[in-house]
Amino acid sequence: MTASSAPAPVLMQVEGLGKRYGDERALSDISFAVHAGEVLGLIGPNGAGKTTLMEAIAGVLAPDAGHILWRGTPLPLPRRREFLFYLPDGVRPWEEQYVARVTEFFAAVYGRPDSVVAETIRSLGLASVLRKRIADLSKGYGRRLLLALALLTPHPLVMMDEPFDGFDLRQTRDIMGVLREVAASGRTLVLAIHQLGDAARVCDRFVLLANGRVRGAGTMAELRTQTGNQAAGLEDIFLALT
Amino acid sequence: MRSPDTAVAHRAPIQQLLAKELREIASGRALWIMLLILCPLVGYSFFQAVSLYGEASGAAVDSPVLGSGLSPLDGVLVPTFGGLYLAATLLFPFVAIRTLGGEKESGALALLVQLPYRVPTLIAAKMAAISAAWVAAVICAASALPIWLALGGHLYLPETLNLVFGHVLYGVLIGAIALFSASISESAATAAIITLAFTIGSWVLDFALAGQPGALGWISQLSLTQTLRPFEQGLLPAGLLLGILAAFSGFAALAAVWLHPGVLVGTKCIRSLACLAIAAAVIGLSTQVRLSVDLAEDGHNSFPAADQRALAELHEPLIVTVHLAAEDPRYVDLRRNVLAKLERTMPNVSIRLATSGQSMVGSTSEEAYGEVEYSYGGHSDKSRSTSHREILPLIYALAGRAIPEPIAGADYPGYPLVANGSPALAWFFGGLPLVIGLAWWWSRRPPQIAAHLIKNGGHA
Repeated sequence: MTASSAPAPVLMQVEGLGKRYGDERALSDISFAVHAGEVLGLIGPNGAGKTTLMEAIAGVLAPDAGHILWRGTPLPLPRRREFLFYLPDGVRPWEEQYVARVTEFFAAVYGRPDSVVAETIRSLGLASVLRKRIADLSKGYGRRLLLALALLTPHPLVMMDEPFDGFDLRQTRDIMGVLREVAASGRTLVLAIHQLGDAARVCDRFVLLANGRVRGAGTMAELRTQTGNQAAGLEDIFLALT
Repeated sequence: MRSPDTAVAHRAPIQQLLAKELREIASGRALWIMLLILCPLVGYSFFQAVSLYGEASGAAVDSPVLGSGLSPLDGVLVPTFGGLYLAATLLFPFVAIRTLGGEKESGALALLVQLPYRVPTLIAAKMAAISAAWVAAVICAASALPIWLALGGHLYLPETLNLVFGHVLYGVLIGAIALFSASISESAATAAIITLAFTIGSWVLDFALAGQPGALGWISQLSLTQTLRPFEQGLLPAGLLLGILAAFSGFAALAAVWLHPGVLVGTKCIRSLACLAIAAAVIGLSTQVRLSVDLAEDGHNSFPAADQRALAELHEPLIVTVHLAAEDPRYVDLRRNVLAKLERTMPNVSIRLATSGQSMVGSTSEEAYGEVEYSYGGHSDKSRSTSHREILPLIYALAGRAIPEPIAGADYPGYPLVANGSPALAWFFGGLPLVIGLAWWWSRRPPQIAAHLIKNGGHA
C-alpha cells in the first residue's frame, strides 16, 4: 500500500493494555502506535483478541491494565468518544427504524452538513434502501449502513471491526476504495480484519495479534525484515511470527 | 477547518435524542399491543362500574340521605382506572424495557454510549420516552371521563386530576424500575423477570405482610401498590410524593450507573451503594412528612367542616398514646377515622403506639390494652372509641372549647345517577382500538427522503 517516505506523527499510543475474563487472558500487555492518516490493520484469526482490543481502546469495555495516549497525553475513558469512534461487528442497531431516519439521526447529532450526508450515502450506495427498515436489509446493506454511520461521525480516528464482512469480492473492493478516500482526507482508520488478503490490499501498517498478544507490528517491508523473508506475503509473515 | 486529530467538541442537540427514543418506543409492537389490551380492560371496568353505580343510585335518587353516600370517585373513577393499574403492573414493564433491552440485545448500546451525550442524558431521554408512552396509556383510560360526563355523570376536577396524577406517577415509577432492570440484564427476558418481581412482589407484600407489627409492617409499606391508595382516596400526600420522587430518581440513577459497559463492575457497585444510600435517606425522610391535602369532594378524609375549622385553631401539642397493636383492626379504624384526619387538620399532633413492636398476642391481656389517651394543654383523658363523634368532644373538652355548631349546607350531596354504560363499550371495543390502530399505522409510515440525498445515484 502507500507507505509514505516521512513517517506521520504518532496519533494514538496503546500501552500495556490487558484484559482477563476469569482465568482466561484475553489481552496481554498490548502496546502499539497509530500514526495520523494511516490505515492500520489489526490482523489475527478469530479469537485473537481483536474485538476485545478495540472495545478496550474505545472504552466500551473496561480493561484491567494499560492506558491510551493521544498525541502523548493520557486519554481517560470518558474522553475517548471525543477522539475516536468504534464501529462494532455483528450488530444490527435499531432494527425497526428506517435507514433514512438513522442516518439523519447520526448526521444531526454530529451536526454534519447535508453535503456530507449525501456524499456518504452516494459512496456507500445506500440511496435505494433509505426507505427500508433496517430489519429488512440484507447483510451487505446492513454493513454498508454501519459504515455510513461511522463515516458520518467527525472523529479523527475511526476503528472498524471486520468492515468487509458480508461483502462479495467486488463490493469489498468498492468499500476499500471508499475507506482509502477517507484516509486520504486525513482521517485515521484502524481496521480489525481476519482475511489476510483483504488486509494486505487496504492497510498501510499491520499489528499482528494471536492469543491476545502482539506478535509483530509495522509496514509490510518492516514485517518482511522481521521474518527475514523479503518475498513473503502477509500470510507467510503471519505464520512465521505467530 | 477542524484539524483532523483534535477532539470532537460538539454539543449534540437533545431533541434529536428525544425524537429517536420516541420513535424507538413507538416503532415496537409492545406499546401498541398494551394499548389495545388496555381498551377492553378499562372499557369493561367502566361499563361494570356504571352499571353498579346505577343500581346503587336507583334507591338513592329519591333519598338525599342515601344519595350522599354515592361518590363518582369511589363508585366509577377508581374501578375504571383499575384496568390501567393492571396494565401498568403487568404489561407496561415490557414496553419500558424495550427502550434499552433492544439496544443491548442488538449491540446498538456500543454505538449509543459513544454518542456525544452524557449517560444521565441518555437515561433522561429514555425516561422521557417511557413517560410519554405511559401518558398515552393514561389518555386512553381517561377517555372514559368524557363518556361519563356525556351520560350525565358528575366529576369533581381536583379529585379526578389527583387520581389521574397518581396513576401517572405509578406508571412512571414502574418505567424507572423497568429501565433499571434492563440496565443490569443482558436480555430483555431477564429484565422482565426482575421488573415483575418488583410489581408482583408488591402484591405479595400487600397480602402477606400488611398489618404485621414492627419491621414486617414497615417492609409492607414499600409495596408499590401503596403509592396509588392515597390518590384513590382523594388525598394528595406530600410525603408519598417525596418518596416516589426519591424512588424514581434512585432507579433512574442506578440505571445510569449500570448503563455504560466500559465501567468496572466494582466501580458500578460502589456508585450503586451511594445511590441506594441517598435514595433510602430521602425515602426515610419522606415517611416523616405527614402533610397531605384532602381533594375528595365528599371530604371523607376530613372531619365535618365546623370541626375542621375548630381543630385548626388548637395550636398547642395534642399527644395521643395508643394502647393497641398496629395490626389490631381497631387501630386501623382509629387511624383511618380519627388519627389521620387529626394529623391533617391540627398543626401539632404526636401519635405514639404504647405497644410499639409488640403483637396482639400477649398485649391484649393487659388492662390498658385498647385505651387511647389524649393529652392537650396539660389535661388528659382516655377513650376506647374509634369514632370521631366521641373523640372530638373529648378533645374540645381538654382544650376548654365548646363543640362547634354544624355549618349548614356543607354536607356532601352525593351524585346518584342511573345510566346505561353501553355507549362506552362501543368506544372501548370499537372506536378506541381503531384510533390506536390508525396511530400505529401512522407511526410506521416511511420517511420522506430529501431529493439531494438520492440525486447522485445509489450505488458505490
